Amino acid sequence: MIDSERRSEISSKAPISAAGVWKVFGKRVADAMEMARDNVDQASILAGSGCVVAVQDASFEVNRGEIFVVMGLSGSGKSTLIRCLSRLIDATAGTVLIDGRNLGEMSDVELREIRRHTISMVFQNYGLFPHRRVIDNVAFGLEVRGAEKEDRYQTAMQMIELVGLDGWADKYPEQLSGGMKQRVGLARALAVDPEILLFDEPFSALDPLIRRDMQDELLSLQERLHCTMVFITHDFSEALKLGDRIAIMRSGAIVQVGTPEEIVAHPADDYVRDFTLDVPRHKVLSAGTVMAQASSDVVLEGEPVVVSARLETILPRLLTEGRPIPVVDADGVRCGVLEPALVSQYLWPR
Amino acid sequence: MTSLAPQSVGWRRPLGYLGLAVVLLGGLAWLLPEGIGAFPQEWDVGLGPAVNEIQQWWISNRRDLGVYLYFFDPLSGSIDWLLRALENLLMAIPWYVHVVGVGMVFGRWLGRAGGLAAGAGMVYFVALGLWEQSVQTFALMTVGVALAVAIGVPVGILAARSDRVHRGLRPVLDSMQTLPAFVYLIPVLLFFGVARVPSLIATVIYALPPVIRLTNLGIRQVPTESLEAGLMFGSTSGQLLRKVQLPQAVPSILAGVNQTIMMALSIVVIAAMIGAGGLGQEVLLALRHQEVGRAVEAGMAIVLMAVMLDRFSHSLVGQGRMGGGHHGEGLPYRNWWIAGGVLAAVAIAGWTLGWTDYPTALQFSYAAPIDGAVDWARDNLYQLGNLPVGTGPFSDFLTTYGTRPMRLYLSEEAWPVVVLFFGFVAWWASGKKLVLGSVVGTVVIGLLGMWTLTMDTLSQTVVAVLMAIVIGLPLGVAASRRDWLERGMRPVLDTLQTIPSFCFLVPVVILFNVGRIPGIIASVLYAIPPVIRLTNLGIRSVDKEIVEASESFGVTRRQKLWKIQLPLAMPTVLAGINQTVMLVLAMVVIAGLVGGAGLGLEAVKGLARSDTGLGFEAGASIVILAMILDRITQGWAARFQPPSSEGD
Repeated sequence: MIDSERRSEISSKAPISAAGVWKVFGKRVADAMEMARDNVDQASILAGSGCVVAVQDASFEVNRGEIFVVMGLSGSGKSTLIRCLSRLIDATAGTVLIDGRNLGEMSDVELREIRRHTISMVFQNYGLFPHRRVIDNVAFGLEVRGAEKEDRYQTAMQMIELVGLDGWADKYPEQLSGGMKQRVGLARALAVDPEILLFDEPFSALDPLIRRDMQDELLSLQERLHCTMVFITHDFSEALKLGDRIAIMRSGAIVQVGTPEEIVAHPADDYVRDFTLDVPRHKVLSAGTVMAQASSDVVLEGEPVVVSARLETILPRLLTEGRPIPVVDADGVRCGVLEPALVSQYLWPR
Repeated sequence: MTSLAPQSVGWRRPLGYLGLAVVLLGGLAWLLPEGIGAFPQEWDVGLGPAVNEIQQWWISNRRDLGVYLYFFDPLSGSIDWLLRALENLLMAIPWYVHVVGVGMVFGRWLGRAGGLAAGAGMVYFVALGLWEQSVQTFALMTVGVALAVAIGVPVGILAARSDRVHRGLRPVLDSMQTLPAFVYLIPVLLFFGVARVPSLIATVIYALPPVIRLTNLGIRQVPTESLEAGLMFGSTSGQLLRKVQLPQAVPSILAGVNQTIMMALSIVVIAAMIGAGGLGQEVLLALRHQEVGRAVEAGMAIVLMAVMLDRFSHSLVGQGRMGGGHHGEGLPYRNWWIAGGVLAAVAIAGWTLGWTDYPTALQFSYAAPIDGAVDWARDNLYQLGNLPVGTGPFSDFLTTYGTRPMRLYLSEEAWPVVVLFFGFVAWWASGKKLVLGSVVGTVVIGLLGMWTLTMDTLSQTVVAVLMAIVIGLPLGVAASRRDWLERGMRPVLDTLQTIPSFCFLVPVVILFNVGRIPGIIASVLYAIPPVIRLTNLGIRSVDKEIVEASESFGVTRRQKLWKIQLPLAMPTVLAGINQTVMLVLAMVVIAGLVGGAGLGLEAVKGLARSDTGLGFEAGASIVILAMILDRITQGWAARFQPPSSEGD
């Protein structure tokens, strides 16, 4: 289904790469795909072919050790997409490579092996086993791959401590609060020491304050673990906070992939721009993004700032001094200038 | 507002149509030429004699048949061996060991009071000289349940894993659950004759549906995310079943086992008619000989066993829900081993020393006072003085204004009119789809030569159902308004639903002697719980916000009931009525034993005289009648179901 040109773009280095992935629910798949290619909207496709195009021609790569966030509103196909990455759902068309190996061509045994050792998943409603104690939930992955009881309990205890649930190992999931349940879900996923972690809206069922704690905790865990993570969310601010890169989905298609800053600074279309409107831009944008090219002969006064500096650190100076500030790259070479007028355009578009 | 109002839910035929139809069809009957009465006897296709011939052929030839030699015979042999082994084991253990052992086990699961009550219950079996019969019934039921579980759980797993099996199985299970227990005995009789093994086979078949259904349901109810989590850690499908699906399905499977136990017990008692022996036979014989006291004693033993088994298996369901390895308070494991060891030692000692008999001095019987009370009731309650009050006038009233006119109308009116009437009721209640089935079904009953008998049974059923609704519906409404009433009624309804149908016949015979009326009263008692329960449930589960919305418009209590609560509760109420109809039919059939006449009596005659053909014809008619009644009431209930949103 995928043309050769695109296949050559796929680098085998990336832990996950998806190329031209489609998922169509229904019987007349070919018709539905044809209509989707002609930009027919979802409702008309459903009326015309009885099919739902959940994922439409999704292509992206996830780099090693990054948090790749897939953001979209409900019904945009993000949950289906993440299930195609683990073959919980078989993609209708397209290729998913895990460490360069084609997921779709794997036998049941190979698939099981890759799930036992390489990929783990955390679920929206925790997906905990109500009949197992916390420790047996956490040890489940080790149990099914045949680890001895002592070994798996030892690892499981470490994971339980890692997520801060010491003393809760013998409780049942029902006895835990929502935040604690998701800690168990996280510990269970980490226990098998996976390379890749898939998160299906893991924090959306939690209260706002607990959600923030969990986000912070995930970031600090990632500093130690350096896993490759794919993180699904419908919350744009969560995407900005966690994502090294963000893919934005709209009715099954990926509209834009980029760093948080790229997306906020240069939204691909009005749909993406809508999400960026309420963003505290001074926290996202950096000097490099909003600077103007400065010809080297112009002499600028004042201490220069580096390209990576966030606007929130520069803004007080810019407002008090009221004049352009030079920008230098990491080596101290001047590469641009911050013009108050241009900066204000980025901060308050329209 | 309008979106919530039930009026927008499809179109339903007014009750007035039904009355109009009676008048019109009555007129039609009058226009028809004289002499068209009941379905003509000459059209009897003679299925009965044919079945008897098949049976004769089977009996004389089965020794030469492979199926018999290599399947039926070894099967029945091993089942018989199993039964005997269990019976002998239970009989060998001295009664006092049973009493203490059962008491301890119940005490462990149901607390001290439960343990004491269970021990006392065991003493009842022994002290009334019903020990052997109780052991027989218990053994038969245990083996039956064990087999049903051994077959049902794997089938349920299969159905859960394959949608095709699930779809194929569902209509079969549905119809199995609508049939009265009674009819299961007849085909089994055809192939296996009268003995304990055939009654066991009937038991297994009858009790199978709940285990299959609830195993399937339990596995299918495991949340998708739980399954996905299992898959994502690389479980094989075997691991997924063992570690994820089955453990989460345990509460549901245990609920199925509980239902299976209760169904098995109820049919084991009825199966006394085809030689199951045990307590059922004791009741049966006592009823036949008009020894009401003896029947009460044995009937109470059955009720006791039912309640004990129900409580016990219920507590297992509760334990299963608490997650796998939970163990409540009570003795630690080690002490259980010690206690078990001591009991085993006592059992062996008692058995070798021959200390197994219950002391005759401690035996007791309350049959005599019961018999006295029956005589007294007959003499005194039949009619109070010269007043038109008492069981006699009541029976007469019900006969004169209920069963008799309806029976005469249905069985003596021109048969085509009755067939048309059936078709009309099917259309009125649920629409075109059922008309053909109902008409064909009724004609087939005629062709079986069971016309008059079926109309007799039907008229009793209708009267009993109307009585159950007239009494049950207001009770349900009342219970929905008063928590104390609901709480107070619950144990009564629980008990009514636990008692095997057979036992209802005993007390009504005391009060009403034999005949059609006691059967109807027993049916009402047996079948009333679902109407009360589901009316109460339906009203209570109406969305609070909807009720509050209506109150904000200032409705009176009566308006609230009629305009909001009852219409919205209707699907649930009708589901209750459907259950009630099926239970009434089952009971009316069994009431053939106490002079209820109709199809039940005919089937009993068939069983008693080994006229399998006759039993077969009656049984087939019962099945057809049950199917028609079930479809009609279910179709009716479906009409009240609010339209589901398009998204689903």
